[in-house]
Amino acid sequence: MSETYTLVDATLKVIQDRRSIREYTAEPVSEKDLEMILEAARLAPSGENAQPWRYVVVRDAATRKKLGALAGGGSGRRFTAEFVTKKMQERFSSLEDEAKKKAAFEKLTSGKVSAFLADAPVCLVACGKKDVWDMPFDTSAAIENILLMVTALNLGACWVIAPCIDIRDEERLKGLLGIPEGFKAVSIISIGHPVRPHRPRPRLAVKELVFDEKWGERYFKE
Amino acid sequence: MENPTLALDYANDLMYEMEKAFWDERGRGARFRMMNVGREYYMEKCRPLLQQADQDTLVQAVMDLLKRDGIVADVSYVRDDRLLKVAVKGCLHQAVEAKLISRGVEPFTCVPANLIVLALEEKLDRPVELAEIKVENGACQLLLVVFDHHPTLD
Repeated sequence: MSETYTLVDATLKVIQDRRSIREYTAEPVSEKDLEMILEAARLAPSGENAQPWRYVVVRDAATRKKLGALAGGGSGRRFTAEFVTKKMQERFSSLEDEAKKKAAFEKLTSGKVSAFLADAPVCLVACGKKDVWDMPFDTSAAIENILLMVTALNLGACWVIAPCIDIRDEERLKGLLGIPEGFKAVSIISIGHPVRPHRPRPRLAVKELVFDEKWGERYFKE
Repeated sequence: MENPTLALDYANDLMYEMEKAFWDERGRGARFRMMNVGREYYMEKCRPLLQQADQDTLVQAVMDLLKRDGIVADVSYVRDDRLLKVAVKGCLHQAVEAKLISRGVEPFTCVPANLIVLALEEKLDRPVELAEIKVENGACQLLLVVFDHHPTLD
């Protein structure tokens, strides 16, 4: 039975239903769905209407494997650094299950946490023109539009910065895809059909987030 | 140049201000954008000196250059499996770290470390991660992790 929503309720439902999905079925993402996703991205706001975003659609399996290796390599390096400096152990100190802790450490330090890009039917590489004022913010607005449209289409996506956050990896990514000097590789959004539903991650209560007129006085009282 | 000390103070002040601005902009993500700082110096001065392709020889060559060029007063290292623990004394840029620390910012970039990383990554094709920079007893203690190879998914 189809459900009917008001526009407000439908919008909120899409926002609430968005998840970071890292496991996909083999079903491809249709061209029609991809066009809807890119249309949502195109309509994002940008400073001075600069529209500095550009996208590379990657479906080729060999290229996706390289992207997965790049992401996994970067994540593996950074999380190993957290492990050898004991920061990871501090982060997981409240997890009492030793087996789960060990598995989490292995997933992070090996880079497997980010290597799933290789298995996503589509990797959408978001790039931003450097010669504008607000590129990081503009491209982030576009990426959020992408994630919400993906959700509305009953697909799943994950915003992956692992292949781009380190300047060395960003250079490798740009070299792989021929992204020119005037553009930054901002992030990769993996897209596909989710294998299974996911529970929402915990969120801070809104009263923790908002102040009244200036910093300090809570907007939402107890 | 009439006053070389003034020029260094001036340069370090600028470096501190730029690093602080970058920290203010990117927070803990800033460190990952700094790994190429020193690359021009590496390409012009360091790379021509790097002949042998083993880790110890490369690290030693970088350290010798840093001392010879007066960038550091002394530098030494210890290998502990995949960890490279480097101690730097009397670095030209020490004042930058001191100012960052005085403003509550943990040091997040290091030119001597970057030169070692650049050498090992280029000559050995081994990924390296700068895990930690600590300033203790007037010396910089660097912790680097040297990985065996870039991962593939083959």
